Amino acid sequence: MAAVRGALLKHLRVNATPLARNPNPTSHGLFALTFNAIRRRFCDEVKGSFLDKSEVTDRVISVVKNFQKVDPSKVNPNAHFQNDLGLDSLDTVEVVMALEEEFGFEIPDNEADKISTINLAVEFIASHPQAK
Amino acid sequence: MGASKGQKLSGLQKQVLSLYRGFLRAARSKPCEDRCQIESIVSAEFRRNSKQVDRKNFFYIEYLLRRGKKQLDQLKSPDTMGLSSLNVSSSQKQNAKT
Amino acid sequence: MATTLIRRAMSMTSRVSSSTVAPALRLVVTRPYASEAEAEKGDAATTNMKTFQIYRWNPDNPSKPQLQDYKIDLKECGPMVLDALIKIKNEIDPSLTFRRSCREGICGSCAMNINGCNGLACLTKIESGSSETTITPLPHMFVIKDLVVDMTNFYNQYKSIEPWLKRKNPPPTAGKEIPQSKKDRAKLDGMYECILCACCSTSCPSYWWNPESYLGPAALLHANRWISDSRDEYTKERLEAINDEFKLYRCHTILNCARACPKGLNPGKQITHIKQLQLLGSA
Repeated sequence: MAAVRGALLKHLRVNATPLARNPNPTSHGLFALTFNAIRRRFCDEVKGSFLDKSEVTDRVISVVKNFQKVDPSKVNPNAHFQNDLGLDSLDTVEVVMALEEEFGFEIPDNEADKISTINLAVEFIASHPQAK
Repeated sequence: MGASKGQKLSGLQKQVLSLYRGFLRAARSKPCEDRCQIESIVSAEFRRNSKQVDRKNFFYIEYLLRRGKKQLDQLKSPDTMGLSSLNVSSSQKQNAKT
Repeated sequence: MATTLIRRAMSMTSRVSSSTVAPALRLVVTRPYASEAEAEKGDAATTNMKTFQIYRWNPDNPSKPQLQDYKIDLKECGPMVLDALIKIKNEIDPSLTFRRSCREGICGSCAMNINGCNGLACLTKIESGSSETTITPLPHMFVIKDLVVDMTNFYNQYKSIEPWLKRKNPPPTAGKEIPQSKKDRAKLDGMYECILCACCSTSCPSYWWNPESYLGPAALLHANRWISDSRDEYTKERLEAINDEFKLYRCHTILNCARACPKGLNPGKQITHIKQLQLLGSA
């Protein structure tokens, strides 16, 4: 199954050179808002395909870094939300919700409950065709 | 309730988190200003209960879940503009306002 | 907030007056009546104290639910359980919470479990005799406070059977009511009287085990009320909608519903009528 997905990924992966990210995301409230509308529109063209894993990692890390309660210096791809970043389960819900908004799709409850590290978030989003 | 550190979630905890998610999703559908207010009230209420309510008081947590679900249903209605909370003698109560 | 403060103030004054001020006041009032003046002296033969054990649970003070005892003098109380509850709330404990409205068995608000039987407090006589009367909320319902239960699911089930007249054709005379023969109208007897107090549904073991999926006697009685209505033109669709292993066929004719109904209706019989129509339809 994993092999099939890998093969698919190879073919479907789009060479989306990451857009220059807005260096100063304005929202520092509870939720980091989506970075810009241009990205959305751009990504609409590749609807139904998978995102590049490194791009996903960058965007996830950036969302987490913008989260109010997180010390940005502690954020790395292997960080565990609760053990390493000092978030509680309610904060984790907020982070995952912010990721939903960043990638423009809804994560079902049973999947969202499993996302406890940045790596797991990246893996889930990268394997989700609706993420944009 | 809410402050578990990396443990496996219990069924009740999952329900609480799912309710929290529901409120945050409902807030998205409201205008920006209302949304921020809803988010801050809801988040304060959940955090307050996660600290005050004994995690073994299932009876009470289930009651709060049912009350929360009802309030969420009210909030989801497009006629509902926002949330407001009022202080009733030191105990905070949350009212959905239409 | 304001109301709670006022209530608290009232309860304090009433407590004070009952312990110290009241006897003198009452003597003044009751002096003209010889028999009641005797009662004031505490003659055991003329007071009739009765204990009510009432289920208490307050969500703002999260502890386990408990039964609280209240003693009242039946000589100074109306004959019905609701009279006793109102007396307790007025004179002993203003925090006691229950629903009530019409006090004559037409609104269905004061449905509760009295001495183990579901009924309306306003239609249930206080049992004479010295034994205690136990009052609890309707069984297997989520409690909101004290005797007040959450009726959301019950009402949603009622809503799900579409309790209104549905027509495919316009009325015989445009803009006028749809006439019905006396015979057809008589078919609705035993159903239109239902006041949706939930006494029947909450007495049904089948409903206890499947409160979400089984519609329960009250909703099914109303389903039959519209199925049997000569003016309704969606009979077939209505039967189809509830022809379900759970919605309809969780009724095992236990007939607790008929025992519980404070209006003397028999929901079990109406459910049997639906089942018969289902059989006729499928044959």
